[in-house]
Amino acid sequence: MGSIILEARDVRYRYPRGMEAIRGISFHVRRGERVALVGPNGAGKSTLLLMFNGMIRPDSGILLFDNEPLAYDRDSLRRLRRRVGFVFQNPDRQIIAPTVWQDVAFGPTNLGLSEEQVRAAVEGALGAVGLAGFGRRPPHQLSSGEKKRVAMAGVLAMDPDLLVLDEPTNNLDPAGSEDIMELLDELGEKGKTIFISTHDVELAYPWADRVILLRAGEILQEDSPEVAFGDPDLVRRARLSVPALLELHRELERRGLSSPGRRPRTVLDLVRSVEQATRGGGARPPCGAIHVCNVDVTGREALARWLSAHDGISIGAMGTRAKQRAAGDGLPLDFSYGVIDKCMLSALNGRSSLILTVGGMVAQVEQRVARFREESGAAIDVRRVEGA
Amino acid sequence: MYEELLEDIAQGNALREVSPYLKLAVALGSILLCLLSESFVAPLAMALLLSLGVLLLARVDPRTYAALFAAPLSFALVSVGVILLLSGGADPLWGWQPLPWLSVSLTRESINEGILVLSRMIGGMSALIFLAVTTPMTDLFLVMRRCGIPEPVLDLAMMIYRAIFLILDQLVQTYQAQRMRLGYSSFGESIRSLSTLCGSVFIGSWIAGEDLVRAMDARCSAGKFAMPGDIQPVRAGPCLAVSAFLTMSALLVAITGSITVI
Repeated sequence: MGSIILEARDVRYRYPRGMEAIRGISFHVRRGERVALVGPNGAGKSTLLLMFNGMIRPDSGILLFDNEPLAYDRDSLRRLRRRVGFVFQNPDRQIIAPTVWQDVAFGPTNLGLSEEQVRAAVEGALGAVGLAGFGRRPPHQLSSGEKKRVAMAGVLAMDPDLLVLDEPTNNLDPAGSEDIMELLDELGEKGKTIFISTHDVELAYPWADRVILLRAGEILQEDSPEVAFGDPDLVRRARLSVPALLELHRELERRGLSSPGRRPRTVLDLVRSVEQATRGGGARPPCGAIHVCNVDVTGREALARWLSAHDGISIGAMGTRAKQRAAGDGLPLDFSYGVIDKCMLSALNGRSSLILTVGGMVAQVEQRVARFREESGAAIDVRRVEGA
Repeated sequence: MYEELLEDIAQGNALREVSPYLKLAVALGSILLCLLSESFVAPLAMALLLSLGVLLLARVDPRTYAALFAAPLSFALVSVGVILLLSGGADPLWGWQPLPWLSVSLTRESINEGILVLSRMIGGMSALIFLAVTTPMTDLFLVMRRCGIPEPVLDLAMMIYRAIFLILDQLVQTYQAQRMRLGYSSFGESIRSLSTLCGSVFIGSWIAGEDLVRAMDARCSAGKFAMPGDIQPVRAGPCLAVSAFLTMSALLVAITGSITVI
């Protein structure tokens, strides 16, 4: 468990001539954690988030970043905002420059970086969000999802330690939401601490390491997602709904169709739980294999040859670069979000699949499948594709 | 959404990768030569070449180009009508005095003057439209920075450019919401709807402005806007073409200086 990066101690805030928006909130966030602040509209989520980078100063209580109380003089705020990247709910309100390049370069330029450093930061950030080559485009010609990515790139270019996102999937279509969550997963894997606010329980439930339920400026519950969302009364009081997966698990459990105990976080967990409850001592059918291909070292022709030898195999892509490669090679993707889980589900069903990914994520796939193999006893093989 | 239309054409035109310096040279050079020309021939010839450039090289849709030309042309024709009838001259071809203090006449001089002004307007408009549909504002900002326009002026211009599209978007949404609820259905209602529209867009712009400051603060704003260092380079082929166009146009201006309609 990492050290504490952000802490709030009995924080209160009242809008001028308004009601008290934040009523004595205390919590902490550790390095590398993925935390979701979940609550209904008007719960005070955005207000609380704006305190993290000093945009709003609490009336009382203390906020600490890296164990230092927040200071509100100009220089301290600049230092803080360099380390706490904030992505607004509406990207149109965040994108300020006439071109994508200029917008992403805004933060690094104002930090006083050299031209070369600015250029490197912009190219790195645009590459990370999958918008390489978009630099000269004006923001008004982009889709909502692309604008959101530009807003994220603008923040990533400053290389913050903590990434705060207010309703990251608001106004996005399901595919756009999946892309953004996949991007957040990627950033999480790279060690960024990520704090999001949302009222979408289906989004927060499988993604977050920890969930903070907020209602009317107060914390109702703060725990792992399966505990925080596991109490229907609490969820109702927070004007939210129980995630569909948890509800389904509860009903299956009552009917003896799912094994009691740990609540499932993903469809894979639920399938395993159902299999355990229903199969008894029966033998498991043979599992399919998961092939992993590092697209950075596997050429187009080598991959095409491999695919022609494995006709009809399901293909998933993890990470922005892998997805771009798939699009460039004209490969239709069966899975683009939650790829490892979906491939393991296929494997449990006796079907093999291919995951396109890059660099360190190959090892991540192997570790994740090995962990599942140990827990479930399912003999799923992970094989590296030639050249990977 | 006229502004967006122009900017979108410019972003996608086939001359996008030609250096903005060259396109600016074509436009400014053409306007200058049109003003210097004493004959209608050179401005019209330049207008023809520039229009062919827009249609064939930049591959702008002819109907869109015609629509872009039509609006300013109508103003030009009205102005030329006034010149034709009121500028007078020594050699009247037709005259009429409807009131003791008002006489209108067509003279040899007024016809020549009117045609020259019209041709200059057509030439100048062609040059401006050529620039507008081939060079996005984002490229012109770069040129302006290189030309030493003060940073605060340019930064403000860039923020205004970005804000135009946001405000335009809000304007269209509010307008559509009003139309859907029978706004603008009568003259009185139109006045009321328009005033509500203005109020709503003003408040929206105000809020957007506050958000802009907040967004800039959140990214450590010190009032600096970055400019990408690279700009489309001046390549030999287009440079030769532009030089040839301007030289030929200048020669035409010199040769045709004495040609008049009548």
